Amino acid sequence: MAEIKLKIKKKLTFPLEADSITPDNFVGKTAADIKKLPLFYATKQVTIGDFFDVTGKSTDVANTKIIIDGDVSNVKRIGENMTGGEIVINSDVGMHIGNHMSGGKITVNGNADDWAGAMLQGGELEITGDAGHYVGSAYRGYWQGMKNGTIKVKGKVGVESMLWAKSSKPSNMWPTLYCGSADAFLGIHNHGGTIVVEGDVDRCAGADQAWGSIVIKGKASRLLPSYKKVGEVNEVQLPNGEVIKGKFIEYSGDHTITKETKGRLYLAA
Amino acid sequence: MVEKVRTVKDVCCPFCGTLCDDLEIDVDLKTDVVVEVRNGCQIGTKKYFSSNPSDHRYTKPLIKENGEHKEVSWEEALDKAADILVNAQRPLLYGFSSTECEAQSKGVVLAEMLNAILDNTASVCHGPSLLAIQDVGASLATLGEIKNRADTIIFWGSNPVHAHPRHLSRYSDFIRGYFRTDGRNDRYIIVVDPRNTHTAQVADKFIQINPSEDYELIQAIRAVLRGSELDVKEVSGVSIDDIKELVEKLKSSNFGVIFFGMGLTQTSAHHRNIDTAIRLVTELNDYTKFILIPMRGHYNVTGANQVFAWNTGYAYSIDFSRGYPRYNPGEFSSVDLLMRDEVDAALIVASDPGSNFPAAAVKNLFKHPLIAIEPHKTPTSAFADVVLPAAIAGIECEGTAYRMDTVPLRLRKVKDAPGECLSDKEILERLIEKVKEKLGE
Amino acid sequence: MSLNNLILLTGRTISQGVALEGGKASRENVRAAGICTFDADDFKKLDCLVGTPVKVITDYGEVVVYSTITEEGPHPGIIFIPMGPWANQLVNPSSQACGTPQYKGMKSKVEVVKNGKVLGAIELIGRLKEA
Repeated sequence: MAEIKLKIKKKLTFPLEADSITPDNFVGKTAADIKKLPLFYATKQVTIGDFFDVTGKSTDVANTKIIIDGDVSNVKRIGENMTGGEIVINSDVGMHIGNHMSGGKITVNGNADDWAGAMLQGGELEITGDAGHYVGSAYRGYWQGMKNGTIKVKGKVGVESMLWAKSSKPSNMWPTLYCGSADAFLGIHNHGGTIVVEGDVDRCAGADQAWGSIVIKGKASRLLPSYKKVGEVNEVQLPNGEVIKGKFIEYSGDHTITKETKGRLYLAA
Repeated sequence: MVEKVRTVKDVCCPFCGTLCDDLEIDVDLKTDVVVEVRNGCQIGTKKYFSSNPSDHRYTKPLIKENGEHKEVSWEEALDKAADILVNAQRPLLYGFSSTECEAQSKGVVLAEMLNAILDNTASVCHGPSLLAIQDVGASLATLGEIKNRADTIIFWGSNPVHAHPRHLSRYSDFIRGYFRTDGRNDRYIIVVDPRNTHTAQVADKFIQINPSEDYELIQAIRAVLRGSELDVKEVSGVSIDDIKELVEKLKSSNFGVIFFGMGLTQTSAHHRNIDTAIRLVTELNDYTKFILIPMRGHYNVTGANQVFAWNTGYAYSIDFSRGYPRYNPGEFSSVDLLMRDEVDAALIVASDPGSNFPAAAVKNLFKHPLIAIEPHKTPTSAFADVVLPAAIAGIECEGTAYRMDTVPLRLRKVKDAPGECLSDKEILERLIEKVKEKLGE
Repeated sequence: MSLNNLILLTGRTISQGVALEGGKASRENVRAAGICTFDADDFKKLDCLVGTPVKVITDYGEVVVYSTITEEGPHPGIIFIPMGPWANQLVNPSSQACGTPQYKGMKSKVEVVKNGKVLGAIELIGRLKEA
C-alpha cells in the first residue's frame, strides 16, 4: 500500500471543493505533483499545496491509500468518481463524500455532511459517526441513484437516504445501506435497494417503494398507511445473500405504486 | 367637464401569482398620484396607493454612514455597491420575484460576472414544488381551462381568500365558464387544511387534516385509488370512509384540479408532499382529466424561475462559483448558505428577506455588507449599507410577468416613479457596467 | 397562564398583505402580523383578554405578540401567526437539505405577559444586527 498523507493547514471560512482528491487522480504522482492539483475555494481555483501538507507518493490506483488529517468538515467532494484504492479521513467531512464512486473504500472517522455516497456505483463507504441528509441518494433530477456498493453509517442518516436506489438482479448489483438509525423518508422511491437499520426510523420509511427490502430492528415512528401487514417471520433473506435473524413483522408496500408489490419492509416484532 | 384623472385600463396587478389583468387605475393629471383603483383586491389596491410619495418610499440613493442613511448621488451609490460585490468572495444575489423579466435577466448576467450565487424567493416558497416536478413531472394547465372546465376543485394547504383574494372569483370558484355555465353551482370545492380557513368556510367539503401529516393522507388516497384495502381505520385525522368517499368523488369528476400552497411546501416533508400530490394527479388521469397548479405567491416568481431556467438551465439556487451554473437546493439555497455563514456580501433585489427569512439566517445576512434595490423601507432595506431606490414594476415601469400557470402577461406603466428612482432593470444595468469597470473588462 | 403542546403554523392573511404593502414599519403592520391567533376554547384557558400580549416560544426562538381569537377555527392545539418578522423569530431555519425552511408545524408553547412589549418590525429585526 502506497500511503499518501494530506494534512490541512488552513482554517476554512468557505467550503473547499476537493474533487481532485482521489486515488485515481494521484496515480503515478509524487507529493510535489499532487500539490499542484486543483481545488476550488469560494470562487478561486487554488491548489492542493495551498491548503494541505502532502507527504508520500502513489503507485497504482488499487494500492493507493490517502490519509487525511486535520479539520476537513468543510471540504466537499473528496473521493468523487474514484474507481479503487482507499481514502481514510480522520475528522468530520463535508458534503458529497465519495459521490459517483465505483470502487475502492472510503472511511470517515467522524460525521459526514449531506449527500454522502450519492450516486454510488460500487465500492464501500464507511462512516463511524452520523451522516447528513441524502445518504446514497440520487442527485436532483436523476431518477436512478445508487446502483451498487455498500454504505455503512454507525450513527444516524438524514432524510431521503437511498432516494431512487436501483438494483439489478441480472447484473447481481445490490446497493445496500446499513445504518444506526434514520430520519424521515428512508428509501423513498426505492427500486431494489437494501436497507438495514439497527435502531429507529422516522416517518414515511419506504415511501413510493417499487421493490426492495427495508429491515428495521428498532421502531418506526409511524408506518405509511399504504403498507400492509403480510405476516411474521423469524429471519429475513436479503437479496445480496445475507440473512438477518430475528422476529419481524413483514409488510408489503408501497401500495401507492402497484396493487400487488414485491416491495417489503420488516419491522422488529 | 375637465378631465382631472388619466385612466389606465387592463392593468396587470403586481402583487400575487394570480396576476389579475383587469385593473383600472386613475392617476391625477396634475400630481401624478394614484387616486383610484378599480377591480383590484385589497392588497393590489394598497400596492398601487403605496407607490405614491410617502415617508416609507425611497426617492434617492442612500449609503449608511455612522448607522444612519445618508443621501448620495447615483454615481457614489453604484460605485460603493460595485466595490462591495467585486471584493466579496462569495456574494449572493437574491430576490427578483417582485420585478419584471428583463430585470431578472440582468440579474443572471451580474451573477455570472461575479461567480456569485443567484437565487429567488422560490427558495423559501415553491422551491419544493419545482424539486418535485423535476423528480416526477407534472400535469398542468392554464387558469382559463379551470375557469371553463373544472367541476372539482381542491385547495390543499392553500387559503386563497387571504393569499390570492380574487382567484376564486376570476378562475376557480364563483365564475361562470364555457362548460360551467352555472358558475359556483357547477363546481364542487374541497379544502384540505388543519384550520377551518375562510376558504374552507365557502367550500362544499372541508377535510380537517392533522398538521404536517399531508404525505400520509395522500399515500392513503393513492393506495385506495389503486384498489387496495388498507389496514388502518384513520389517516392523519381523516377516516378511511371519508377517504374512500373522496376517491369516488375525484374519479367521477369531469375535470379536476388541485391548487396547492405553503401548507405542503413549508411543512416538514416539503417537496415530497408535492411529489405524491403530483403522482395522485397523474394516477387520476387513468379515470378522468386532472391537473394541478401551484399557487405562486409573488406575481413574478414564476418569471424569475423561467428567466433563470432559460438562461442557466436551472430555476433557482444557482451557483456560478466554478465558472458555470450548478444547481443544488440545500447546498446553494439562500437560507442554507446563510445558516452556514457562507455568504460574505448580498445584493437583495425586489424582495424582503429581512422580514421573510428565519431570524437566524437574517442575523448572518446582517453580518456582512448588504445592498438593497428596493422602493420602500423594509426590515431589509432599513439595514442595508447601500439602498438603490427602485421604480415599482407594474406601476412605474412596464415589463413581462408570468402568472402562476406560466402564462406571460404584460405589466403596464401607469405613472412615473418619484424622485430619482430608476427601474430595477436600469439599476442592474448600471451596476453591471460598474462591476465590469472594476473587474477590468 | 400558559399553554403547552401547541403546534405553530404561519402563513398569509389578507390584513398582513395589505399592511406590508402599506408600510412594513407601520403600526398597521404590527397589528396585522405581530399577532398570535388562538382557537376559541384554547384561548379561554389562557384566562386573559383578547389583545393581551403573549410570549410564543419554540425550540428556535421566542417573540411577544398580541393575542387574538381565530375566525378560522376550530383548530384546538394549533396557533397561527401571520408570516413576517414576528413569525420568523420562531420558525425552524433548517431545510433538511431541500432549501426551504420549515415555516409551519413547529412545536410551541405560549405564556401570557400582560405588560409585554410588542416591538415594531424594524426594531425587532434591528435586534438581529450586531453592533
